[in-house]
Amino acid sequence: MSLRASSMTDGRADRYAPGARVRTVHHDPPHHTRLPRYARGKRGTVIEPEGRAPLADVRAQGRTDCPVEQVYAVRFAARDLWGEGEHDVVLDLFESYLEDDQP
Amino acid sequence: MTGTTHSDALISRRVRRLETLLEDRGIVTGAAVDEAIDAFLTGASAAGGARVVARAWTDPAFRARLLADGISAVTELGLSAGGVQPQRLRVVENTADTHNVVVCTLCSCYPVRLLGPSPSWYKSEAYRSRVVREPRAVLAEFGLVLPEDVAVTVWDSTSETRYMVLPRRPEGTEDLDEPSLAALVTRNALIGTAAL
Amino acid sequence: MARMNDVGGMQGFGPVDTTDDTQPFHADWEARVFALNGALIAQKVYNLDEFRDAVETMPPAEYLAASYYERWFFAIRTLLERKGVVAAGELDD
Repeated sequence: MSLRASSMTDGRADRYAPGARVRTVHHDPPHHTRLPRYARGKRGTVIEPEGRAPLADVRAQGRTDCPVEQVYAVRFAARDLWGEGEHDVVLDLFESYLEDDQP
Repeated sequence: MTGTTHSDALISRRVRRLETLLEDRGIVTGAAVDEAIDAFLTGASAAGGARVVARAWTDPAFRARLLADGISAVTELGLSAGGVQPQRLRVVENTADTHNVVVCTLCSCYPVRLLGPSPSWYKSEAYRSRVVREPRAVLAEFGLVLPEDVAVTVWDSTSETRYMVLPRRPEGTEDLDEPSLAALVTRNALIGTAAL
Repeated sequence: MARMNDVGGMQGFGPVDTTDDTQPFHADWEARVFALNGALIAQKVYNLDEFRDAVETMPPAEYLAASYYERWFFAIRTLLERKGVVAAGELDD
């Protein structure tokens, strides 16, 4: 499964490749964000980049200086989100929500 | 969350006043609002998604293109997955070992152009809060009990990608043509809360 | 600060009412609200992320008590006042 890499069109390299281990930031912003509370500070695996989009956190403030970022589909094990469960949850996350996960 | 409340008449009056104000200020016209409502009600139904599934079941090359790039593939059938902002479409395939189910925990993102208006339960707090935490329990409430060895993936639509499930083709349908197959496909199967 | 819309994993909302309703609107005003919001975004009065943000700023008790399109109407009024398209209080009774 791979979406067409629209990310390749503007010459900027993606920070994460499919299979990269990442950790979501553990922030708690006072503004709009598309990183749900249940997925903050969690370890996951990048499925693939999905294409660049204006960062919703900034765009939601009606600002004109909105950065455009890669969005990644990231897979999380239920056990890593909730401490139990056998299923996976996939979220689409802006690059600035993600950090390298040191093994 | 209820569909109507005791304050329906009050809200109705307020909405009318707002629309009048916006018309007076040249921002909208009543005719355009009427048109948008008509277009939404007539143009959007789950029939589009069902057509896509029937084609994928009968045309392996199309199925491969659909799974690789949903937007391009549905465009081949004259369909659009588009919304207010540019969107991508990811079609996720159910198999003998994997089951997919779609949600938007933060609001109510949904592939409206392919599936039509979303059902109320999709927008409910009960569904949005629980399906990421205990999908099997939620699916059981829909009457879908999955074998223990089937892996479940929940897709939380947190960005502008929209998701549609490609359900498994029912057994005994080898002789059916595409329109007959499309008629078997339900809205819930395209969201992942039903099997066929 | 988490907002009331951010319900993933939250307990207590009970079983899902799986009724397969086919009517997207339960009253005419809901359809008007839906279409007005689309028009305001298309006219770039505000964008979709600002709209989502405005829904989320609804006080939690009000958010939970409100129907889906009541939330939308709240957000539209919030944004139109913020953008100065309507004056504060102009839409009140």
